[in-house]
Amino acid sequence: MTPRAGQSITLRWVPGPHGSNRASVEVSGLPRAAPLKVFAGEQRETPMAGTYRVRNNTGIFEPRFSLMPGTTYYAISGTVSVSFRLPARGPTPPTRVVQVYPTADRLPLNLLKFYLHFSAPMSRGDSYRHIRLLKAGNTPVELPFLELAEELWNPAMTRLTLLFDPGRIKRGVKPLEDIGGALEVGKRYTLEIGSRWQDGQGAPLAAPFRKTFLVSVADRTAIEPSRWRIASPKTGSHSPLVVVFNEPLDHALAQRLLNVEGMQGTVALDDHERRWCFTPDKPWEHRRYVLRASPLLEDLAGNNIGKTFDVDTTRHPAPFRSAPLRLQFTPR
Amino acid sequence: MKRFILGATLALFTVGGVHAGKATAGMRLGAPSFRSMGSLTFGPEGILFIADTKAASIVAVSTDDTKPGKAASSLKLVGLEKKIAGLLGTEPAQILIEDMAVNPVSGNIYLSVSRGRGPEATPVLVRVKGESEIELVALEKVHFSQVALPAAPAESTTGRSNPRLESITDLAFQDGRLLVAGLSNEEFAATLRSIPFPFKDTSNPTSVEIYHGAHGRFETRAPIRTFVPFMIGKEAHVLAAYTCTPLVQFPLSAIKPGAKIQGKTIAELGNRNRPLDIISYQKDGRVNLLMANSSRGVMKIVTDNLDKAEPITAPVPDKKGVGYETLADWKNVDQLDKLDNKTAVVLLREESGAMSLETRPLP
Repeated sequence: MTPRAGQSITLRWVPGPHGSNRASVEVSGLPRAAPLKVFAGEQRETPMAGTYRVRNNTGIFEPRFSLMPGTTYYAISGTVSVSFRLPARGPTPPTRVVQVYPTADRLPLNLLKFYLHFSAPMSRGDSYRHIRLLKAGNTPVELPFLELAEELWNPAMTRLTLLFDPGRIKRGVKPLEDIGGALEVGKRYTLEIGSRWQDGQGAPLAAPFRKTFLVSVADRTAIEPSRWRIASPKTGSHSPLVVVFNEPLDHALAQRLLNVEGMQGTVALDDHERRWCFTPDKPWEHRRYVLRASPLLEDLAGNNIGKTFDVDTTRHPAPFRSAPLRLQFTPR
Repeated sequence: MKRFILGATLALFTVGGVHAGKATAGMRLGAPSFRSMGSLTFGPEGILFIADTKAASIVAVSTDDTKPGKAASSLKLVGLEKKIAGLLGTEPAQILIEDMAVNPVSGNIYLSVSRGRGPEATPVLVRVKGESEIELVALEKVHFSQVALPAAPAESTTGRSNPRLESITDLAFQDGRLLVAGLSNEEFAATLRSIPFPFKDTSNPTSVEIYHGAHGRFETRAPIRTFVPFMIGKEAHVLAAYTCTPLVQFPLSAIKPGAKIQGKTIAELGNRNRPLDIISYQKDGRVNLLMANSSRGVMKIVTDNLDKAEPITAPVPDKKGVGYETLADWKNVDQLDKLDNKTAVVLLREESGAMSLETRPLP
């Protein structure tokens, strides 16, 4: 930031407001527009975009983008070069995988997806390179997942949805018949997440993550709410409404697509996504309530209420539920 | 990244008049806000459609880039990320090139770019002019309009916003409609939407589910990876590529509200493969397709007999149906577009891992 004179030119970096990661460059000693360029790092090929204006014989260059902490920037005019660097970010606790859903260690042959949850925002762009599905002998399964360039992140980038390639799940589809499904019944697999995957700050994960599971037979039956057990809460209490499913449901969807009409509260899932608990914000009254289940709820194989994942709906259009299912209960 | 200007849309080009055209009617002047920039495609009059996947919306921007330019028919830009990083004042590792589209009027190449890879990333639009000049496209004062993709109302009480964010996998403009292929990140629901353009406040995009007959069964809900509007005989169709790798056609006229379309599988393009991008072009009186994919060189498909193609309805060995030729020297191509009827622009990954942009004669 010290001004440096060369011939008649003086260059000076002016830091922006504290915490803004912004800075501008002031040039004085030039009567007209200065041949000033600002470069990020050591390359001198492409100058940084920004605006240049002259006021009272002083030129001011405002870079279009905020500066990257830890990167050195050079303002260059003729033989004069002045560098500027924001301090690199301080160390933060390393990011780790906090959970992978489904959490059960027995998963159906036609499992549709995993959700990978991280303790902090992650980076995207090459996520699939860090994810492997290993079979016996630590051999990787070839292309088990649908690799979408867009990558299915939540807005905070703390959760990635990892879909199995549907071509390897559906019956009668060529890849499944040809190279087989990604999984085989009775065999053990490990989902491995490599620690070289960078978080949103560019730091690697704290440790690799491994989830080992055994594959059970395919689930080709629709969700059957008639087999759910609803334990009514006690009138006047804040005790949770507990619904026990006959099979694990999709973690994200069960949190979002099951609710009690007219009631606010918090949802928790446990027992490997087989048990749904809703704790109301205000105590239960002695009256009839409605538990509403969206037809978009899915089990681990993508089956919905009244509809299996790979049903041929052009031939069997009948039970294609579009209205939510309403289950009634009355607190004790 | 792909467009189809044979036929009716060509008549919409009214070069010269700024904002006098039909397509810019109803646009407002200002700075559209973006949370992300993904798929790109050009419509008429230099209008660029930009998919904002994070916001689940599409922004139409009038680029004012409507003067026919001198096509850079011998472009070769190596180390693209490094150049863009310099322009954006960051490290090359922080640059993600999301999509590429050529303005059919000017021949300028547009790139949607992410400056950063985390949630704080800044979306940026970059333009390659002529042989080597890379510049930022200013979006602070442009004519634009915007449409939100309808997302299911959040029923949850946890207050998370738009939990069912939809990933937009591809865009194309055809006959006054923007076609949008997408996939939700929670429910496993693949859709194709048809949105009339100019966007209207009351526009109610048509959303369809597509099934394709193959192997004696019907696949449901597999997402379209890339698609191109395309003429078969005299009827406009969409030709869609799915993972692992059926090529499926269905008539554009079938995209009606609530419709469930059964597509016709016209080719199986082999296993262990992901389609990345597809374009159509005319050469020697024939219409050809080029498809970039993950496992081999770009595939060229001659479409002479597509109107007579038999649907594949029984299990097939590795490949079947309409044949293709693999262009062995078109390897590692990530994105394709057409500069003119003789030249393609390709975005490809060099062996060093760096991205480069170059022109090649259409085969």
